[in-house]
Amino acid sequence: MTPSPPHDDALLAQRIRSGDRTALGELYDRYASLALATALRVVADRQLAEDLVHDAFVATWQKIERFDPERGSLRAWLLTIVRNRALDRVRGIRASIEVGAADDQSLLRTGANPTWEAAIARRSAAQLRGALEELPSEQREAIELAYFGGRTYREIAVLTGVPLGTANGRLRLALAKLRDALSLTDAAPSGTDEAAP
Amino acid sequence: MTDELRPMDHAAVDELGAAFALGALEPDEARAVAEHLATCQEPHTEVRSLLGAEQVLAMSVEPVQPSAALRDRVMASIERVPQEHAAAAPPRRPAPAEPRERRGWLDWLSPRVARPLAVAAVVALIAVGALGLNLQSQLAERDRALRAVAEALAAGETAFRVDGSAGRGYVVETPGEGAALVVADLAALPADKIYELWLLDAAGTPVAVGTFRPSAGDEVAVVELERDLAGFATFAVTVEASRVDAPTNLDLVMVAPLEPS
Repeated sequence: MTPSPPHDDALLAQRIRSGDRTALGELYDRYASLALATALRVVADRQLAEDLVHDAFVATWQKIERFDPERGSLRAWLLTIVRNRALDRVRGIRASIEVGAADDQSLLRTGANPTWEAAIARRSAAQLRGALEELPSEQREAIELAYFGGRTYREIAVLTGVPLGTANGRLRLALAKLRDALSLTDAAPSGTDEAAP
Repeated sequence: MTDELRPMDHAAVDELGAAFALGALEPDEARAVAEHLATCQEPHTEVRSLLGAEQVLAMSVEPVQPSAALRDRVMASIERVPQEHAAAAPPRRPAPAEPRERRGWLDWLSPRVARPLAVAAVVALIAVGALGLNLQSQLAERDRALRAVAEALAAGETAFRVDGSAGRGYVVETPGEGAALVVADLAALPADKIYELWLLDAAGTPVAVGTFRPSAGDEVAVVELERDLAGFATFAVTVEASRVDAPTNLDLVMVAPLEPS
């Protein structure tokens, strides 16, 4: 899948903000399959995943005024809402009907990072998966537990039976390698493949 | 690594940067890193280069085609759900020349959010119990209610404009006496459904504050809320099969931001 250029999303956000329902429909057509895949990856239940996607698009429509393009793309905002709700459901927390502080905080860390956005836009989902598959399995496992499992590095350490420093180091090395694989920077991370405990 | 919440030093922020970028920190740690990055004069180049990396995982999934019905559901829902900023926008003030009998009586109330309103006076004059009141057959009472509302506008209580697909009106609060939803032009409900009222805090956590079902032909309903508004940011109404502890859907048929204008 080739993501749409961010400026298209920015225009779409403006139209949604103005009350244009067809724009929300276009957003749905653009990202519903991606949103469903994200939800399904987290909750592993097709009907529940569709409910979460429904709720995320309705929340996007209702709360579009809270979307700040300076802090990230509309796609990132939507997928953050989907992921956070899916993780809440997995954790047994009833999905909030608000776009909440967790979503805002997610975007704080995601930020409007044009470097990552541009790198992602140039690649298909298969290419991105390829970059992930190039990682050592323990590093890939760690970042997938973090993103799709909503696990903290402390929980990852327990789940994988390694010291805290090792779990944190795996996250750091994995992201640095992804950054390099996607040619975001010439600077390679220092250190070995396995951080010291 | 920090086991207690305190300002982080540069090394700790650098150490936890990847976990921060992936949302894999405990909330207090994430807050500390975010605060540090927001105010620190150091570049923290390595950490900042990782921010946004989670989008690689987000975009790496193989798209899954939703059922055809899901798009219809979404589009039907947004037909009913008002946008938050649109619901908060000041409604038009009724034109003086408009024939009075063609307007709902709520149009005589404050056209602005947080316009003073004496809910007690309104409720006392028009309410007959907690639920609906058929004013169509009680025009004399309706006129008295309108006059009471007009007189009450300067009484110092607070009203928040409610709008949505199910009806329009106000959430009104009298300090020390509680809050009530006063709503007109209610949409009819299927026989097996009820309206459920919610107050949501700033984090979006909903608290159930009552249910009601309008009687056939009701033009105005007054529903007392089970909680006052202190500490809540939003009022909302959903349609449910029975009273529940958390909304089962996102179809907010009425909503009001509880913010002064």
